[in-house]
Amino acid sequence: MKKKKKSRLKKKLKKGPKKRKFKESYATEKGKISYKKLKLKAGLEIHQQLDTKHKLFCNCSAAFERKKIKTEVVRKQHPVASELGEVDVAAQYELFRDRTFNYQVFSAETCLVELDEEPPHDINTEALRIAIEVALLLNCEIPGEIHVMRKTITDGSNTGAFQRTMVVGMNGWLKYGSKKIEITHVCLEEDAAAIVREEGNKVIYRLSRLGIPLVEISTGLLKNYTPDQVQEIAYLIGIVCRSTGKVKHGIGSIRQDVNVSTRNGPRVEIKGVQELGLLSKVVEKEVDRQMRLIESSKKVVHETRAANADGTTRFTRPLPGAARMYPETDIVPISISQRWLKRVKSELPEPWTKKLIRFKQKLKLSNDLAIQIVSSEYLELFEQIMKKHPRLNAIVVANVFTSTLKDLRRKRIDVGKLKEKNLMDIFDALAKKKIVKEAIPDFIVYFVDKPDDSVAKVAEKLNLSILKKSELRTIVSQLIKDSPDTPKEKLYGIAMSRVRGRANAQEVFKLVSSLAKRKSKKKK
Amino acid sequence: MYPKEIEKLLKSKRIGVGSRVKVTKGKQSYEGLLMPRIGLGDRDNIVIKRDNGYNIGIKYERGLNIEKLKGGKRLKFKSAKAYVRKDPDKPTVSILGCGGTIGSRIEYKTGAVFPAFSPDDLLVSFPQLKEIANVRGRKLFDLFSEDMSPAHWQVVAREVASEIKKKAGGVVLMHGTDTMHFTAAALSFMVQTPTVPVVLVGAQRSSDRGSSDNEMNLVCSTTLAAKSDMAEVGICMHASMADDYCFFHQGTKVRKMHTSRRDTFRSINVVPFARVWYEKLKIELLRKDYKQRGVGKLVLDDKINPRVGLFYSYPGIDPAIFEGLMDFYDGIVIAGTGLGHVPTNPSNDRLSKSIVPALRTLIESGIPVVIAPQTIYGRLNLNVYEAGRLLNEIGVIGNGCDWTPEAALVKLMWVLGHTKKMDKVREMMLTNMAGEISGRTEPEAFLL
Repeated sequence: MKKKKKSRLKKKLKKGPKKRKFKESYATEKGKISYKKLKLKAGLEIHQQLDTKHKLFCNCSAAFERKKIKTEVVRKQHPVASELGEVDVAAQYELFRDRTFNYQVFSAETCLVELDEEPPHDINTEALRIAIEVALLLNCEIPGEIHVMRKTITDGSNTGAFQRTMVVGMNGWLKYGSKKIEITHVCLEEDAAAIVREEGNKVIYRLSRLGIPLVEISTGLLKNYTPDQVQEIAYLIGIVCRSTGKVKHGIGSIRQDVNVSTRNGPRVEIKGVQELGLLSKVVEKEVDRQMRLIESSKKVVHETRAANADGTTRFTRPLPGAARMYPETDIVPISISQRWLKRVKSELPEPWTKKLIRFKQKLKLSNDLAIQIVSSEYLELFEQIMKKHPRLNAIVVANVFTSTLKDLRRKRIDVGKLKEKNLMDIFDALAKKKIVKEAIPDFIVYFVDKPDDSVAKVAEKLNLSILKKSELRTIVSQLIKDSPDTPKEKLYGIAMSRVRGRANAQEVFKLVSSLAKRKSKKKK
Repeated sequence: MYPKEIEKLLKSKRIGVGSRVKVTKGKQSYEGLLMPRIGLGDRDNIVIKRDNGYNIGIKYERGLNIEKLKGGKRLKFKSAKAYVRKDPDKPTVSILGCGGTIGSRIEYKTGAVFPAFSPDDLLVSFPQLKEIANVRGRKLFDLFSEDMSPAHWQVVAREVASEIKKKAGGVVLMHGTDTMHFTAAALSFMVQTPTVPVVLVGAQRSSDRGSSDNEMNLVCSTTLAAKSDMAEVGICMHASMADDYCFFHQGTKVRKMHTSRRDTFRSINVVPFARVWYEKLKIELLRKDYKQRGVGKLVLDDKINPRVGLFYSYPGIDPAIFEGLMDFYDGIVIAGTGLGHVPTNPSNDRLSKSIVPALRTLIESGIPVVIAPQTIYGRLNLNVYEAGRLLNEIGVIGNGCDWTPEAALVKLMWVLGHTKKMDKVREMMLTNMAGEISGRTEPEAFLL
């Protein structure tokens, strides 16, 4: 007995240092994980929804905003015969047998096409053009003829049990520092239905998202990059998409898949990272998970995992059989003429890298602010405003988009309800010196509720019209008169609180300074 | 498939469909499997399947080079094998294939569609069938249903009768949906007492997709054929957009009413015979007036005369259209407006033209003219308006009938296969033979 115990102890002791050795062997001198030594390889797949009026293969609205369910259609799916014969079908059959899918229908956002009750219409040319713009911005080659494919989907998220997808660009690249990142292909495809919930064997989907066009951008294998760098590359791809000015913004509009392998081991695919800022964390945690598996002498398996909101991942049940890809015979292959392609090339938006330099040099934005505005959903509006009012301070304008709106959103003010016109009107008034920049948040809050009012009307209602110089002077003089012994700084504070949103802070400060000086001179 | 020039180039390099190729064009090169050109599009593009599964087209131009690489695949459709033993406790259902979406399978690499009617094909694709019945399957044709003709209906009727004689407990006919209701009507007249259920079935969604309605439709049809007490010819397909139950429609009272929906087939002027629940495989009867299984004697009466035309009346229709029709047709069906009308111009309007004289000439020369409602729903009545009375006067057939234009057409063909005597034609046409004329209409039998 004793002997046995002892030997077990010995074993434990033996294992101990071995473990340490394992981790040590993949550490840098500072004790951090060396991703280079670990041979971290990652591949990115970025899915970005396009901001088109209609869906990809029908005339439904792509707004994805309806809340009221019109009706529900209950469907089943079944395995389809393949070249593999009965066994393959039988295996799948059991999986499908008890599963039911409930599809929620929304007016204006669901028609017979999403319900798999009508063949697809002709492709949405607006979406095709945006996708090709993205491909061109990523230096891709464009095929002479685009073939729409059906990719089998077995989780019910597509009513047709397949997703329509097509390659619109391939063999591209993206500059990252001094390196070139390989872009293997850019695809244009339909988004899947959004899952609402699962109730046992019943899965409920909303069809309003099904068919919204999105581009899928796949990188080549990223070798010798850290998780942070992988995230930066994803970020850059996102910026390229946004620089078209025609992609959707907001949560869920961009989704990332990343596959991770270490030590030349099997590839683990992680699906659906919804927030860009989470990507490096997801990679780090996956590396950690794989290392811990190896440490405890378990194998890393080729599998699909789904990303959780905290950066960890969960195993998703894979279905047998690889996804099949076969021609969508309901859509005639789309020939891309060289003439049309030339025109699209000539009308390409300014590359984001050039834009960044221009914003920094001409508009005097800081690097951070320039990056923020380039990747902002308000980029296009920002440029329109600066074009219309070149004398406006670009920093002020950019700050409204990058921080004021963000702050208000944090205060649960639904700035999404604002119309572009509201913001344009505000900056028009600012340029014409009808209002001051300090009043902008008040205007925005007001417009969220009543977007149809005019700036002049709001200014009057909220008492935010700019004060005439004489009026301001009167107020300040009166203030100095009323409180003669107050120090200048305090006077300024009181003055600001009285004219807040009606006068420029700098001007008030100047006025207080000069009037107070004059008064003290008089006293003397 | 490809234009001659490309085919020649491919042939010279011994490249065929499935070969692994490298296509070089200037600085760009692409590798993949050569695909056939199926369907439309610019035929000057060479289609290759890349390793990620996507197809792309590469425009063929001078200077394009194509090389054969190692690692190609022979792309051929392999028939699968099902291993099923006959169960003596289960009825035998004979499944006959005429073509259409339901009886096809896809070769996934190329997307090419193949017919699949053998019992193996069926049982591999639809494993549930073996839980319902012993299935025997056979291909009659492989046709899109728009290419079916009265001659095909005769073959179908003979084959159905022969299957019943060979002790099939029920017959399922896989058929394209476009003209399925014509075939259903023809069978109803040709095999009036089938003594077992004869069920026509099709699919509105292609069989390559897991959402296809083929499985539910076929499972419900086979259930009907195997278990039902209704010895009727009918169509069994989706009742709604949901995958819950199918309707079994009477063969002479059904019509394809939508270009694409699963629930395209609707009963016209009657309630369907039954609901067939998919998951529970339960038959819920909705009517009692059906022929019982095993009652009566199987008679095959497949005489038919295809020389019948169907015309659609419309405002301003030119009477000259009807002149000379007797050279082509032995009978005419007109889908009339409203209660069964055509332009008759009783008020002698200056701008209007009556087609009555033209129709009278046809009838007088021995060509029966039958009227049917283009409203689809409802009963004809030639007594209410002047136009109807005029048609009645000249001997147009159909007053009081509630047949569909298609059922009227098929019936006239069938009747003319038996006689050309006007009186006899009239008598037979106005006698209900296979439920095509109902005596009364239930209020709920509209837009069901």
